[in-house]
Amino acid sequence: MAVSSSTSELVQLDEMLWEIPAASRADMRVPARVFADRELLEAILADRALEQLQNVATLPGVVEAVLAMPDVHQGYGFPVGGVAATALPDGIVSPGGVGYDINCGVRLLALPVSADELGARREPLVHEFSRAIPAGTGKHGPIRLSSDELDEVLRAGPRALLARGIGCEDDLERTESGGCLPGAAPAAVSARAHERGAGQLGTAGSGNHFIELQRVDRVFDRAAADAFGLTEGQLTVLIHSGSRGLGHQVCTDHVRVMDAVQARYGIELPDRQLACAPASSPEGRAYLGAMAAAANYAFANRQALAHAVRESVRRVLGHDAAQATRQVYDVAHNVAKVERHGGRDVLVHRKGATRAFPAGSAEIPADFARVGQPVFIPGSMGTSSYVLAGEPGSMERSFGTTCHGAGRAMSRTRARKTIGGAELRRQLESQGIVVRCPSNQGLAEEAPFAYKDVGRVVSVVEQAGLARRVARLVPLGVVKG
Amino acid sequence: MSPPVGARPEHRFVEHGGEVEVELTAENEIGIFAAGLDAFAELVAGGEDGEPTELQIVLPGRDRTLLLVDWLNELLFLAEVQQFVPRRIAAIELEADGLEATVAGHRGTPRPLVKGVALNGLRFEQEGGVWHGRVVFDV
Repeated sequence: MAVSSSTSELVQLDEMLWEIPAASRADMRVPARVFADRELLEAILADRALEQLQNVATLPGVVEAVLAMPDVHQGYGFPVGGVAATALPDGIVSPGGVGYDINCGVRLLALPVSADELGARREPLVHEFSRAIPAGTGKHGPIRLSSDELDEVLRAGPRALLARGIGCEDDLERTESGGCLPGAAPAAVSARAHERGAGQLGTAGSGNHFIELQRVDRVFDRAAADAFGLTEGQLTVLIHSGSRGLGHQVCTDHVRVMDAVQARYGIELPDRQLACAPASSPEGRAYLGAMAAAANYAFANRQALAHAVRESVRRVLGHDAAQATRQVYDVAHNVAKVERHGGRDVLVHRKGATRAFPAGSAEIPADFARVGQPVFIPGSMGTSSYVLAGEPGSMERSFGTTCHGAGRAMSRTRARKTIGGAELRRQLESQGIVVRCPSNQGLAEEAPFAYKDVGRVVSVVEQAGLARRVARLVPLGVVKG
Repeated sequence: MSPPVGARPEHRFVEHGGEVEVELTAENEIGIFAAGLDAFAELVAGGEDGEPTELQIVLPGRDRTLLLVDWLNELLFLAEVQQFVPRRIAAIELEADGLEATVAGHRGTPRPLVKGVALNGLRFEQEGGVWHGRVVFDV
């Protein structure tokens, strides 16, 4: 059956998958597909996300189909929640397909303490997080790096911090790609990006970034939860952050380079922010080297944030609790990676989308080999988050990818007009959620009703066979920039 | 240097599904840069005012839309690295090949929001005797 939209005609391929055929626009090279149920599809059609996805389908070298996850929403160029794979070596790479916050991602820590055992120490613990973790733009973090030390972080990622006592080998093992993308080229990272990044390691950032204290509310898949080390009632901490100003500047620099040179490669695009160049070109290689460096910085940043969380646990719950606080996993949701799909090497752009490799994948830690890669889906503030595991359907249908969050359903402007930050703070605290956020305006912009229903988003990816639910996490306290 | 910003440069935040989009209007080209500064200042304002400061910005470029992006990226860089909260253009020379400006503001704690200035949906043009600009901030 077909559903009319303002921009095209959507054809339903199955219960959870819709397609805009390539023939719907003369410049589209492949179809644009969206994973959604009817209700989410209505929400998705409310903004320009699918028009942007159609634009992505025009990129040279794009293969099979471009994809939107059920949390997709309008971005700038690529939609947030978009996936595109380009054939290597000569398909394009687009910095906008990764975004400004290169390797924005999430890391989950599991504490050896239950919510009941935490008791009245909940507020002191969240308060310690807020003291230990600078959140905002330009806030200088706890780690001072020389130029050479910063370059080592760009090359090696969190491994460069081990000698400082920040993190451990087990953390690296439980990080996507071991916390280090190959081919990182610090020399392709501008002086300005270095300057922005030098003082920001160990800061969380702003907007929708957060550190959230949670309780495992429900386990859906016992075997996977056991493999991930999660049990009902247990405390967890979810860290959402990225590559900070360093990554933002890498994107800014390389979008401009590609905007200037793409005509030389005969590339014409419907949206300037999609600026791109062949991955094999000098400009493409330079971006990929800089992007890998920024991604490694982001892994290291989340490692530093996790260290601050562990130190907070030590101060409030004691040495043993801190020592036994384990990393479940760390996943990226803004990155481009070389992977093998459909018998060929492709460059998978994930912009607000998460790798979700299934059981048996050689790319995931041995501990998870039988259950699939952990995926963390933060809800909106005050709502549940989910732990998922990758399923075989992701390799068959979505280049090994699933969703990354709830997805915005309302602009920040409208959210601010709908509720004041002080009122929202009262509402959250009345639900028993400890809130630490210096800006009422920033708080209001992230109000729960500004996002889609994360439970529905997760249900769609589960029914589509991309990932399955393992556990649900409910918030006990949140620190925001 | 002359500060002919013109009367009433204005900015207006418009609905955007995920990011922050702002429309700028002014009676001359310089006014668009002033309106962009006002919009950026509104996004980063917050915290206590510190020492008043004036900073110089020199940017090359013949493409006005890209020059507007560079202008806002420069303000973003100064906010992030120097904790500079801009307030107004004290002086500006806008030439065919770039601009040179003095921006007045203060040291402070800029609100942490803007990550970058996108090339998506850019506008810088005159229509009906009024100059119009549009940018999308990644937040």
